[in-house]
Amino acid sequence: MAAKKARVKMRDVRHPRAGREYRTAPRLTSEANQAPLLRVESMSKAFGQRKVVSRVSFTLAARELVALLGPSGAGKTTLFRCCTGLLEPDEGRVSFAGDASGRQRAGPRPMAIVFQDYNLVRRLTALENVLGGRLGHLASWRGILRRFKRADKLKAFECLERVGMLDHAHDRADRLSGGQQQRVAIARALAQETKIIVADEPVASLDPASAAGVLQLLRNIARSDGVAVICSLHQVGYARTFADRIIGLAAGRVVIDARTDELGDRDYDSLYASGSPLDGVTMVRPHPPQESISST
Amino acid sequence: MQTARESMKSAAEALEQLEFAQRSFTVARFKRVVIAAAIIAFYLFAGYLVQFDLGRLAAGLPKLGHWLAGAWPPTIAELPIFIWRTAETIAMAAIGSTLAVLMAFPLAVLASRNITPFPRLYYPARWFLNALRGIDSFVFALLFVAAVGLGPFAGMLGISFHTSGTAAKFFADQIESSNLGPFDAIRATGAGRTTALAFALVPDLLPLMLSTSLFWWEFNVRASTVLGVVGAGGIGQELKNSMDLLDFARLFTIIGVILIAVTAIDWLSGWLRRRLV
Repeated sequence: MAAKKARVKMRDVRHPRAGREYRTAPRLTSEANQAPLLRVESMSKAFGQRKVVSRVSFTLAARELVALLGPSGAGKTTLFRCCTGLLEPDEGRVSFAGDASGRQRAGPRPMAIVFQDYNLVRRLTALENVLGGRLGHLASWRGILRRFKRADKLKAFECLERVGMLDHAHDRADRLSGGQQQRVAIARALAQETKIIVADEPVASLDPASAAGVLQLLRNIARSDGVAVICSLHQVGYARTFADRIIGLAAGRVVIDARTDELGDRDYDSLYASGSPLDGVTMVRPHPPQESISST
Repeated sequence: MQTARESMKSAAEALEQLEFAQRSFTVARFKRVVIAAAIIAFYLFAGYLVQFDLGRLAAGLPKLGHWLAGAWPPTIAELPIFIWRTAETIAMAAIGSTLAVLMAFPLAVLASRNITPFPRLYYPARWFLNALRGIDSFVFALLFVAAVGLGPFAGMLGISFHTSGTAAKFFADQIESSNLGPFDAIRATGAGRTTALAFALVPDLLPLMLSTSLFWWEFNVRASTVLGVVGAGGIGQELKNSMDLLDFARLFTIIGVILIAVTAIDWLSGWLRRRLV
């Protein structure tokens, strides 16, 4: 039963559009030796006795889309929450290109976040939601009264245009489809004008076509705006198609950090076999079986 | 098939078992009898406390009928003053409810566990709201008549204090059960707490808040007709005067005006609320 379901899901991943159009995009080769935009050093976080993230280090460079992979419970969300300042890590530090972080005070943040369930304000229009991304740059009364400067409105329209949602600028967020809402959420992230975008399972709630579109969009943004994008994903297929680099997390540790084209099927297999809470019951793991992926 | 035939056979058995259980004494049946006895005792004692006496009602009914007969024709001459006083009541309720909602918003933020900036003040804030809610506007009006003197202003203050407690508790419950995802997302763009509240939570909560505020206005118009009895202004004052003078034509005219006003406001508020949600 479960295996059958997984195979159906796989067929979706091998959607013809996902396979043909996007895989031909040029791969990145020489960006690794750039100065990193984000550096995470030996970060650890425990909840009570349970160490969820232990001594994780990685860097992000401009223009790259990094996929964070790992089985459920590997610590992906906790790691992201520590990086973005939503959680305080027990150990380790996060540093950004330019200045060290002054977090949790009003003012522009060094990174923008894209959430799995979009987190748009439902009764505001797409445009107003994107303007929400400007709030860190503005006096608080402008946000409270929703009175924005002309330049900010122009910026918001430009961001909507980037994500292909200009026609829906005046639609209320709760009238949009999931894929459209995630595009608006990405436009909001763009409006923050950060150099780093962190996307926590941005396509987990989307159908395959919308998901591929959103990942393609994130990669285009990384390429043309010189932004570093890190994005946690559930499907290995998407990661291999869209990511320049894979960071594999298992039981809170980094077990893979390599360019996508250097990795083979066996690496992904080992990632999902090691340290998963489903150890020993790998037949029912929620991820598509590897042999199907190798055929994409 | 097999199970169906079996259940057919056991259906008769089940009925027999049920009849047997109903005849016999069980703990469950004993419990039920005790509970029923307790409920009957409660009502008997409550009836004793309220000095329940249908004989007195029967003796009083002719009196009421006599008054009703004397209520015609209505006192048209004083209608302008009645309408003015009713308008006073409606205004008291409107300004009182509006001030209440404005006061309720900061209180609701303090009393919402998930967004309060001072978690230590959460329980004190909740207690304070319960105190405001527990004291009726009538009691507040009594206090304010003593403090600021007779008149509708005291009544308005009474309404706003009591309603603000009710409104703040309602808003706080709404905030505590609302999805904070958008709020967190706006906070993550670098907006301050107040800005994020106004930008991410208020738009989603506002229609509900406006519609409940309309409901409180409507409710307070009905509730505050009596505030005049303690000298806190409005139509209640005239009502009490007529009763004291045993002028029943006047009394029933006033009741008529109140009914018309309350019905009109129920209708208006209902229409506005339907448009909001």
